[in-house]
Amino acid sequence: MLKGIIAGLLAVAFLSAPAFAADEATMRAAKKEGKVTWYTSITLNIAQDLCNRYNKKKTGVQCVVHRDGSGKLYRRYLQERKGGIYVADVIHTSNLGHFLNLKAKKIITPYKPAGTDNFNEKFVTKDNSWTILRAGVLMPFYNTKKVSEKDAPKTYADFLDPKWKGKIVHSHPSYSGFVTNGMINIVNRFGWDYYKKMAKQKPKIVQSAAGSIPLVARGEAWLGAGTTSYSLLKLMQKGEPLKPVIPPAGLALVTSPNAVFTKAPNPNASRVFVDYLFSREAMQLLADYFLYVGDPGVKYPKGLPALKDINLMAIGGDELKKKNKPTRKMFKKLFGV
Amino acid sequence: MTQDAQQLPGTISGGEPSATRKFDYTVIVWVVLLILLIILVANPIFQLFKESFFVSEDEAGGFTFKNYIDAFETDEYYKPMYITMMLAISVGFISLVVGAVMAWVVSRTDVPFPNLIRNGILASFVTPPFLGAIAWIFLAGRNEGWLNKWIRGLFGLSEEFYLFDIFTMKGVIFAMSLYTFPLVFIVVLAGLNNISSDVEDAANVAGGGTFHTMFSITLPLVAPSLFAGFILAALEAMILFGIPAVLAIPAGQHTMTTQLRAFMVSEDDLLGLASAYAMPMLILAVGMVWTRGIVLGRRGYATVGGKGGQRRPQKLGVWRIPIFVLCLIPLVCAIVLPAMALLTTSFMKNLGGGLVWSNLTLWNYHFILTNDAVRESIYNTIMLAIMAATGATIVAAISAFIAQRKLIRGHEYIGFMATAPIGIPGIVLAVGLFAAYTKQPFVLYGTLWIMFLAYLTKYLPLAYQTSNAGLTSIHPELEESCRIMGANRLQVFKDVTVPLFKTAVIASWILVFMPSLRELSASVLLWTTNTKVISVVIVDFYEETLLGPISALGVLLLLITLVAIAVGFRLVGRDFMRSAG
Repeated sequence: MLKGIIAGLLAVAFLSAPAFAADEATMRAAKKEGKVTWYTSITLNIAQDLCNRYNKKKTGVQCVVHRDGSGKLYRRYLQERKGGIYVADVIHTSNLGHFLNLKAKKIITPYKPAGTDNFNEKFVTKDNSWTILRAGVLMPFYNTKKVSEKDAPKTYADFLDPKWKGKIVHSHPSYSGFVTNGMINIVNRFGWDYYKKMAKQKPKIVQSAAGSIPLVARGEAWLGAGTTSYSLLKLMQKGEPLKPVIPPAGLALVTSPNAVFTKAPNPNASRVFVDYLFSREAMQLLADYFLYVGDPGVKYPKGLPALKDINLMAIGGDELKKKNKPTRKMFKKLFGV
Repeated sequence: MTQDAQQLPGTISGGEPSATRKFDYTVIVWVVLLILLIILVANPIFQLFKESFFVSEDEAGGFTFKNYIDAFETDEYYKPMYITMMLAISVGFISLVVGAVMAWVVSRTDVPFPNLIRNGILASFVTPPFLGAIAWIFLAGRNEGWLNKWIRGLFGLSEEFYLFDIFTMKGVIFAMSLYTFPLVFIVVLAGLNNISSDVEDAANVAGGGTFHTMFSITLPLVAPSLFAGFILAALEAMILFGIPAVLAIPAGQHTMTTQLRAFMVSEDDLLGLASAYAMPMLILAVGMVWTRGIVLGRRGYATVGGKGGQRRPQKLGVWRIPIFVLCLIPLVCAIVLPAMALLTTSFMKNLGGGLVWSNLTLWNYHFILTNDAVRESIYNTIMLAIMAATGATIVAAISAFIAQRKLIRGHEYIGFMATAPIGIPGIVLAVGLFAAYTKQPFVLYGTLWIMFLAYLTKYLPLAYQTSNAGLTSIHPELEESCRIMGANRLQVFKDVTVPLFKTAVIASWILVFMPSLRELSASVLLWTTNTKVISVVIVDFYEETLLGPISALGVLLLLITLVAIAVGFRLVGRDFMRSAG
């Protein structure tokens, strides 16, 4: 009797589930499709590493990476859709607000990746519209050869000290979802006044969040206003003379969703590939790159502070969606580009 | 004309020429040319114009001037226009001085190794400007630029001291001038070569010194070339995308081209605004090209009379060596230093680690060669360059032949049609092509074809001028004498015209192939996931500041270009690039 009820419940659960993990039939269909195109905003070396590892498995599905900033990926997909061109299968960016739009327009379709049942609940969605592939924080940082620990900024306000004028690098919110996210958090805390003063510091403007690191690593700029924690920590591990600033006000948490397009040209391959992205192997790889993931079973590298030890600032997707455009507009007004 | 009938089966040769035969021949050529012109120029420009009166995001919205009002009334959008004008004038002027002086030195003086200077200038002409700009970040970054560090070390100055800061408008002007002065050089050199030395000799005999003669005799005589050179350089500065994208944006400054691209890649659909914004660029550019044509076309000075007179070099005396060294400076800045900077950076492990043995690596090369996007882009780049070079050369050679040999009615307009796109800036053309071919029924977006159209349009005028110049030197009498000897039109074409015309055709192919390898301003708006090219990948990587891989990719691009030049030298001889002017 009990068994029957459980079986019945399971059957109902399966039938009603809008999404399912890849099975044998999906696998066969995926092989026939042969490839999957991943629009992703994770830094290129990680995206390419994931793809290369996946391709080495010879599953019959070839992974193709198209890496760009969150804003540009979103625009590109909508543009292609307008022209009736469907290239992309899977999308992954750092702008949750965009995913709300995509979901509302049914441009993305629910899918629950295999093995995510025991994931941290903050990384999965109830309706499986998307799954958070990775999380990180936006970290201010400095060059240790140019700036001593004593002199280094301790708070966000310290970056506004006139002595840093012309020595800061700032990334662009029109390009980077990570930076849009961080800026909204900082504006919530300190108001636009903070960025009015930051603009007076004449920072160099680079596009991507991770793109600010090489300039500071070379010593061309001395301070970075904020970059992706994972790129920074990874390069510190490689021996670049860099160090993060952890202001008492906290660091902005950025969670980056991953979803399958409704009109994916390779629907089955998409699902097989997404299963791989959330597999233990891929999750561990992301963790090794200093990213936070939903899989509770991964081992994090030395030097990565636990999320619970960081004072986090966070905003929801709705707020991101609402403040996205005004933030970009204000940035253009203040910083000129 | 009656012999045309030989290719038309079923017609009777001899007798009265039938009206239909002539009709067919002419009409086919015209229809093909007109269709090409519509696809390549008329439709994109029309769509651009149309889009500029609609707000793209507002799908139900009707005709409006809102885009124009937004484009010209918002401070942030208006400022780049002002900045661009300033840039164009400054760069035009600097290029004029440097290019003209070097042309005079090479053409008129006894400076040592004039060929070295000339070939160096042509080499800087084929160096991708955006690569030069990236290399100059390594050289003249305010804090870590090698030149600044070297000067600090030399004079024991503090870390705060810097002589150069490439991320400024001055830096942008400097970098642009490095790659635009060759335009002035080529035009002025051609102008100088047309003036015989007799007039200068006369001035010398009358007691004028070298420099006095230059200023009071030579300079006024080449005034039209100087003006044309200035226009060309200013125009190039206005429409360049790569250098401001690399150097001006980090300085918080847009130019019109980078602002245009910012509109095109914005999260919001701003095609209408971009189209309106492109209008002043289009009008200015076309206006400048026409002005140049009018000035160059006049040649009203009676003394400029072909290449008849002899040219004797002016004696530079004690200034011989200093002037030679001065002439080397722009070349060192445009080619030698950037190539060195890219080469060393491409082998560096940690960017902050400096050039020491433990910091050397092949990782950057490994990275680019194992990256799917890069591998595909190398293939796409070469593919597109071959397609564009072949397409442009075929169209140009056929139109030039028809126009020169007056084969059809209205032949005098063919030249105009083939060179019609000459004033259209690449990035504006790209917005137009985007507006025209991203919607049904003609969706070319997402394929290499839309980029092929852009390249074809951009380089057709160059190919046409080269073919035309080549044909001018083949006198029709040669062909006619063969006809008299009994050969038919086809045989004459095959055995006489083609062999003589071959050099010009190969030259035109290579002259289109080389710039296609590094085309950026149109590609940057038209590429899609499967159609990346090397220049776009470099800009892509730059947005992530992947300086090491960029350097490796830059070295690769320079190598491909060098191979192309070497092949060109072998096939056509060393003079092939001169027709670029």
